[in-house]
Amino acid sequence: MKRKYFYIVGLACILLGNGCSDFLEQKPDTILPNDEVYSDPNLIKSVLANFYERLSRGLKPNTTDQYYQWGQRAGGEQYDYTTIDEAIKYDFDQVNTFDRNRWRVYDYELVRNINQFLQGLNQTTVLSDTEKAPLLGEARLIRAWYYFNMCRSLGGMPLVGDEVFDFTPGDDVTALQRPRATEAATYDYIISECHAIASLMTSEKTTNSARANKWTAKMLEARAALYAGSLAKYNSQMPAPIQTTGREVGIERSKAESYYQQALDAATEVIEQGPYALQDKRPDDKARNFYEAVCMKDANTEVIWARDYIFPGQTHGFTTGNLPASMAQDANTSYLSVLLNLAEEFELINTTTPGVGSKFDVGSLSGTPKFFNTASELFEQRDPRLGGTILYPGSVFANTEVVYQAGQLNQQDGQWIKREGAANSSDAQGNLITSANGPVFSSSLRLVNKTGFGIRKFLDETPGAGTIGRGSEMWEPRFRIAEAHLIAAEAAFELNGGSNAVSLANINAVRTRAGVQPLTILTFENIVHENRVEFAFEDHRYWDMLRWRLADKTWSGGSSNEKAGRRGLWPYRVVAPGSPENGKWAFEVKNMNFIYPNPLNFEVRHYYSELDNSWLNNNPKLVKNPYQ
Amino acid sequence: MKKYVINWVFCIVFLSLLGCGKDNYEAPEATLSGRVVYQGQALNVRGTDERVRLQLYQDGYAKRDPIEVFVGQDGSFSAKLFDGQYKLVTRDGNGPWVNSRDTTVVDLRGSTSIDLEVTPFFTISDAAISLASNTMNTSFTINKIVDNAEIDRVLLLLNATAFVDDGFNLMRKEFTTDLTTGPVNLSAEFADNAKVLEAKALFGRVCVWAKGADQGIYSPVIKLK
Repeated sequence: MKRKYFYIVGLACILLGNGCSDFLEQKPDTILPNDEVYSDPNLIKSVLANFYERLSRGLKPNTTDQYYQWGQRAGGEQYDYTTIDEAIKYDFDQVNTFDRNRWRVYDYELVRNINQFLQGLNQTTVLSDTEKAPLLGEARLIRAWYYFNMCRSLGGMPLVGDEVFDFTPGDDVTALQRPRATEAATYDYIISECHAIASLMTSEKTTNSARANKWTAKMLEARAALYAGSLAKYNSQMPAPIQTTGREVGIERSKAESYYQQALDAATEVIEQGPYALQDKRPDDKARNFYEAVCMKDANTEVIWARDYIFPGQTHGFTTGNLPASMAQDANTSYLSVLLNLAEEFELINTTTPGVGSKFDVGSLSGTPKFFNTASELFEQRDPRLGGTILYPGSVFANTEVVYQAGQLNQQDGQWIKREGAANSSDAQGNLITSANGPVFSSSLRLVNKTGFGIRKFLDETPGAGTIGRGSEMWEPRFRIAEAHLIAAEAAFELNGGSNAVSLANINAVRTRAGVQPLTILTFENIVHENRVEFAFEDHRYWDMLRWRLADKTWSGGSSNEKAGRRGLWPYRVVAPGSPENGKWAFEVKNMNFIYPNPLNFEVRHYYSELDNSWLNNNPKLVKNPYQ
Repeated sequence: MKKYVINWVFCIVFLSLLGCGKDNYEAPEATLSGRVVYQGQALNVRGTDERVRLQLYQDGYAKRDPIEVFVGQDGSFSAKLFDGQYKLVTRDGNGPWVNSRDTTVVDLRGSTSIDLEVTPFFTISDAAISLASNTMNTSFTINKIVDNAEIDRVLLLLNATAFVDDGFNLMRKEFTTDLTTGPVNLSAEFADNAKVLEAKALFGRVCVWAKGADQGIYSPVIKLK
């Protein structure tokens, strides 16, 4: 018995003696502490890469798997393209109001992480100051871009500067709660940040424009200043200007001019000193030229900053979802149908009123239709940007003709009779009735076009880009040099009126490259028009309509308001043997209310997103937005 | 063996008695109902899509989320709540009335009914709507309540259901010019509107929208067919 105790005590002693060796201690291999990250230049770079990634998407509040969208993006949710007067999707949508929170951006975790990065980078000794400068600039540019995206949706929000907050349980939490800054102060912060970092960053072009450089900062400065200027001017012109008492929303009218001047200065600097130029390599094919300027990365002179994608690993499904059915490479096709509302905005090349769109002159199928020798001639008379933006009947994509045909036009007793069939149907003689691509009159049939127009911008011609397995490498341009010209034109217009030389030179630079007539005098309508056709599907239109306070007037609901409705243009092929019109094409305007019964209805409350209740609960110093 | 069974039964009975106390609350039983009124008259508004809202706040809790209360098209509202003291306000900028967000304190014990007084920009009185040969004829009086209010537009609306407003309608005719207060006669033709012609039942309403307001004020819904 005694011996037993002896053994136990002995064993315990041995164990005690052994317990302190460190063979069980391991360093975690999934977490890197700060001092290790900032002692390795490659790790520093990968932290920065993570910030770029997070500009595409961020977690919605109180969720673990739902992401919010940073506006319309080819690699984002394609539904984002269907919410305004540019396109619709292929099946029924009963939406009857705008979602004011759809593109709300709120991610102070990103700000905190960037501020930690700035702190770590400033302290590290593995990089020299000249090596650090561009990295600091990029991180601050990403932060400024974040604030800009937040401010345009929510108005002025808390500015936390470079501060990295520390909290240990027991601390007074109210010291960490920051009130909202005014809308003007938030824009001022973005502008001053961009102004300050421009000198830190490289003025060279970057690979595929994926990393920000000096000109990115200048462009963001110009755009932020232009937004602030137009908010100051056009908000104050509303019958009841949208504002809070503390001006968290609502910029004073008196500040407009200085903002416009800042926008003009920054944009002019990019135009005059930057390495970018309006891409004009194919003067004989302006439509192709415009498509290449926006969508082709090789030898591109146009795009200043883009979210780049690259195979393998970084691709998206925009092309998979939107190829016409006859070209589909996978199960998806034809998600977006482009609206006539946008197509007719592209002006006639030989118009007598340059700078405004006009309706297509197609007659009426029930009265006297107009006949056209080819399906495409109606569209080839238009601003060539139409061909670079939209797939129209008879257009060519990846060396293949795109056939849109709603039906045949037959002749009976001297009357023209429409004959429509199912998608990809033919008559007894083998003549096509309705194309496999559509358009088709059905509110529920998916995977087929509904308006007679498909999307071309951001559609990838690369073989295999339309498969789910590979995906598309198409980038998402955020800034391109055409915007610098249009910012300069608009800012100079607001400062000096419509006949000043700076405005005209800049807008005409864009128009000449596009292949339309130059303007001799500039109006506000011309500016709205030019931005709409130049930047369709590039996440400009919605925010432009907001800053001009035009959204509630233009998209005012009501079945009698054509601008709020959605229309298509359906092509019919004449099959009438013996008639001189046989084989020609006729068109009919088709109201899309069979698939979108409710017109676009933008109400005043939609101008600003709501502050989430959870943010208000966490920080009682936040004030709500108007109409909340 | 018997003992084993008895133990089990006893255990289940014991648990079933205990199970219902700890984490279940009584459902709210008190009802707050009321109307949005001006000088005792309920105001007719848009009742669909939660467009007109009131907000209830209750102090003394960590969270400050408002309870949203939706106003029906006849200006009535109701909410099931727990007894207690609440603060009732209109939603910021919302509704065809002046945006003064005075708090109304509501002491809720059982069922309570209140009238929430607001100042509309305009009111509509003596509304009469009739149909004759594919035309909607209306006569009504627009009363200006707020001195500097201006009429932005007047709408004539028809729908096949009893919910008629600027969002839900088969016909919506907008008048934006030559708008005056006082007695008004307006008409709208719908001969080319197939949906209205086919409708088995028709309800009509007129709406006056003040400049800068986010909602219009309506007449009561009138059954026409």
